[in-house]
Amino acid sequence: MDAGGPLFVNERRSYRKELKKAAIGILSLMPMMLAIVGLVGIFQAFVNKEMLASLFSGDAVRDTLVGTVAGGIAVGQALISYILGGELLQEGISLYAVAAFILAWVTLGVVQLPLEAEVLGVRFTVLRNVLAFLFTILVAVATVWSIQWLR
Amino acid sequence: MAPVDSPKQRRFHWRGLKTFLAVLVLYGVLALLSPEKTMEAAKVSLGVLEEILPILGVVVFFTAALHYWLDPRKLAKHLGEEGGLKGWGIALTAGILSHGPMYAWYPMIEDLRKHGLRDGYIAAFFYARAVKIPLLPIMIHYFGWAFTVFLSLYIVLGAWVQGILVERIEGRS
Repeated sequence: MDAGGPLFVNERRSYRKELKKAAIGILSLMPMMLAIVGLVGIFQAFVNKEMLASLFSGDAVRDTLVGTVAGGIAVGQALISYILGGELLQEGISLYAVAAFILAWVTLGVVQLPLEAEVLGVRFTVLRNVLAFLFTILVAVATVWSIQWLR
Repeated sequence: MAPVDSPKQRRFHWRGLKTFLAVLVLYGVLALLSPEKTMEAAKVSLGVLEEILPILGVVVFFTAALHYWLDPRKLAKHLGEEGGLKGWGIALTAGILSHGPMYAWYPMIEDLRKHGLRDGYIAAFFYARAVKIPLLPIMIHYFGWAFTVFLSLYIVLGAWVQGILVERIEGRS
């Protein structure tokens, strides 16, 4: 077959068989998946927004680091991070810190690290998360600088 | 590239059983210390589970459909070593369009990786997920137009650079 042809080519495979294989693959991951879901529940029940807000001091540099770490540990829907970020801004926390916080919330995941390492390997997981941590700070700083430049 | 259907891989085994048991023990300890909060945590977890089960269902159907139609040799061309600019475009677009928690996508990514999906594309996919198209109006409401536009642009750019760096670093070692 020509390797330059279309990506999707059905070679008379059984869809039912593929469905079963895919379901078994997901099923085998269920203990790890349930563990992560359990940790998400613990985090959301035991850590409230006042606790998160108390981590910030008002110093932009320190708060950007704190925002990245706090966002990386926090779990939940991205929408919650926007609402929390909006409240932090109103309380006078710097935009650098808030940008890092909402970005780390979605791109980093301390809680899901065991699952990521199990599925994609420890080496890749560490490399990806270290880069994501550094880029979260870079993107947050670049965003605020760009807004300031625009003004 | 690992063989997709090696006998070792076909043998069923639960993955993460120890982690699951550790979390159960943690719930037990927390229930002794703070029963109400622990009950709340269990309820939140059930809610999250209800939320991700349909996504996992979609992942199962999607993975099966990919296996049914996908030609592994072609995948290697589009999303493997020869992927090039088109591959980056697919990875970034897929990241922006994907929904649900990151961990719901791990099984499918693992599967595609066995077929030759590049690690750089995986890193780019995961970071590009920070752009949430349905939530953009809410972000604009809280942080303004300029913030939303610049942040989204830099996320996509950052995702691409991270993907390149992952491949450079992995290649070097």
